[in-house]
Amino acid sequence: MLEVRGLQVVINSDLQVVRKVDLSVPKGTIHGLIGESGCGKTMTGMAILGLLPKGAGLQAGTFTFEGTDLLSGAATLRGRRIALVSQDPAAALNPVLRVGRQMDDVLRTHSNVAKPARRAQAAALLAATGLPDPDRVLNAYPHQLSGGMQQRVVIAQALATGADFLIADEPTTALDVTVGAQVLALLRRLVAQRGLTILMITHDMDVVAEVCDRASVLYAGITVEEGPTEALLRAPRHPYTKALLAALPDARPKGQRLAALEGAIPPPRQIIQGCAFAPRCPMAMPVCATPPPRRTEGERFWLCHLEARDA
Amino acid sequence: MLEVRDLVVRYRRGFLSAPGLAAVNSVSLTLPLGHTLGIVGESGSGKSSLLRAILRLVPVTSGAIRLNGQDFLSLKGPSLRVARHGIGVVAQNPFLSLSPRLTIAEILAEPMQAAGLAVNHRARAASLLAQCGLPAEFLTRRARELSGGQAQRVAIARALTLSPSLLVLDEPTSALDVSVQAQILNLLQDLKQDLGLSMLFVTHNLKVVAHISDSLLVMQRGEVVESGPTDQVMQAPTKAYTQELMGFGRHALRP
Ligand SMILES: Nc1ncnc2c1ncn2[C@@H]1O[C@H](COP(=O)(O)OP(=O)(O)OP(=O)(O)O)[C@@H](O)[C@H]1O
Ligand SMILES: Nc1ncnc2c1ncn2[C@@H]1O[C@H](COP(=O)(O)OP(=O)(O)O)[C@@H](O)[C@H]1O
Ligand code: SF4
Ligand SMILES: [Mg+2]
Ligand SMILES: [Mg+2]
Repeated sequence: MLEVRGLQVVINSDLQVVRKVDLSVPKGTIHGLIGESGCGKTMTGMAILGLLPKGAGLQAGTFTFEGTDLLSGAATLRGRRIALVSQDPAAALNPVLRVGRQMDDVLRTHSNVAKPARRAQAAALLAATGLPDPDRVLNAYPHQLSGGMQQRVVIAQALATGADFLIADEPTTALDVTVGAQVLALLRRLVAQRGLTILMITHDMDVVAEVCDRASVLYAGITVEEGPTEALLRAPRHPYTKALLAALPDARPKGQRLAALEGAIPPPRQIIQGCAFAPRCPMAMPVCATPPPRRTEGERFWLCHLEARDA
Repeated sequence: MLEVRDLVVRYRRGFLSAPGLAAVNSVSLTLPLGHTLGIVGESGSGKSSLLRAILRLVPVTSGAIRLNGQDFLSLKGPSLRVARHGIGVVAQNPFLSLSPRLTIAEILAEPMQAAGLAVNHRARAASLLAQCGLPAEFLTRRARELSGGQAQRVAIARALTLSPSLLVLDEPTSALDVSVQAQILNLLQDLKQDLGLSMLFVTHNLKVVAHISDSLLVMQRGEVVESGPTDQVMQAPTKAYTQELMGFGRHALRP
């Protein structure tokens, strides 16, 4: 279980890249992190991984993983149990080393199994990601594999670290729809079979609909809404979530104009007093110049001045 | 009006292409004036090769292409250059397709200079920007200072500089957020209405293409596996592949 309350990341003491992120991800589930480009999704992931850039300062009310306080600098633990699957599998792999050597490097640093057994372990992990003919893949260089195969190798590497929590940052954006769907199905299967937990960072609502149990919506580094996927997508409460869903091309009949959300997120340098979304919100009221209250309903919450029945 | 008949593109000694397989294998399509044709298919299915063949950027092995009644494949030299002005191109990544250090005014003037267009370049650039929803202040900005959506508007404005009748778009919204994607799709809809443009719209995303297209063409391994009016293809897809593309993202929302 990952528990985050009031996470703040400030770079060079004036760039508020994460302002107030709340997250709770139960073991064995997939949690979506949604929002426009630049809203702080990747930085939130990096904070959890302990991989923030130099000059970054981190603060949080609660920041625990499986009961361990991530603020207390337990970096080795993080390196061992939380792994990253990024958008660009080609960049995540070393182009001049065979897959077998790269898998072995990971296994060697994360376990004390002897070399011949490691080869079998590597093959088994590749097979677990649905790669046919693991031995051939072990002997291949990354460029000899398709994007979908490379992403499976990256996932196998993440498993090889012994991690049971994956941060998947746009894992299918660089892949074809059909190949991406296969990789998502694989992640779903790993959650069911190995009890893996996944934080799925994406700006694609279809990915959320397809695999996430719950999801959070980030705006300008703030969690503005969180809830079970179906409730969130079918009956969004926060005006920003509504606007994102209304902008989807299948939200309107063919040929009609889409409900485009104009404007942009406030830059990280900007000080935010009231509701961060107010300048773009179609429902904004004078009171929105003050911080919005947290509203709850069953298993969901959102931050907005509107009463639930008006939202 | 664009007409493609039995088009075959076979790359010579293609390192990437499967041996013996043509990148585009006997593809035919008709695009009436003012219509939008969406082309979907997985990576390597031949979408970009088809577009490149229509732009005469790769050699065509066999087949015919007629653009506004002209036999496009027989054109050479200056007459090919003039005919190419009739086609505007918008690529997937606006940041790669726009020189980062040039000002927007320079980027938009480039094709006008190359074509020897006898108009006030700056004034035309400003009116193209306005048509694409950007104020004239942007003329002095540089491409690297733009957001993804602004850069894609500039790329569309540049594609329109020589008043084409056909706009060819290769994944024009895949690099953009849904909010910005909706703005660009609305812009394309407006341009289609105001200028009577024909469009060839290539994408992986069937939902995007279904929203904007009058008809659809689904490609797999260089061949057209399904085609027809958008509503027909969307409501009664005959191929498993088309159904797979359409079903994606509906899991949680399935009744
Ligand atoms: N310049 C080239 N030389 C040799 N083969 C090529 C060349 N360009 C493309 N191919 C091959 O032709 C086939 C079709 O490629 P094409 O780029 O048209 O696919 P696409 O449908 O546009 O894919 P994507 O969705 O990835 O853009 C592929 O097998 C590809 O490897
Ligand atoms: N290394 C960095 N130094 C300074 N600012 C950064 C750095 N990386 C990202 N940012 C800024 O932090 C904000 C959030 O970025 P990011 O987490 O990457 O967003 P997302 O993943 O949601 O697109 C953006 O304004 C971005 O420009
Ligand atoms: S608090 Fe006000 S401005 Fe913010 S989302 Fe709610 S209604 Fe809109
Ligand atoms: Mg990111
Ligand atoms: Mg292509």
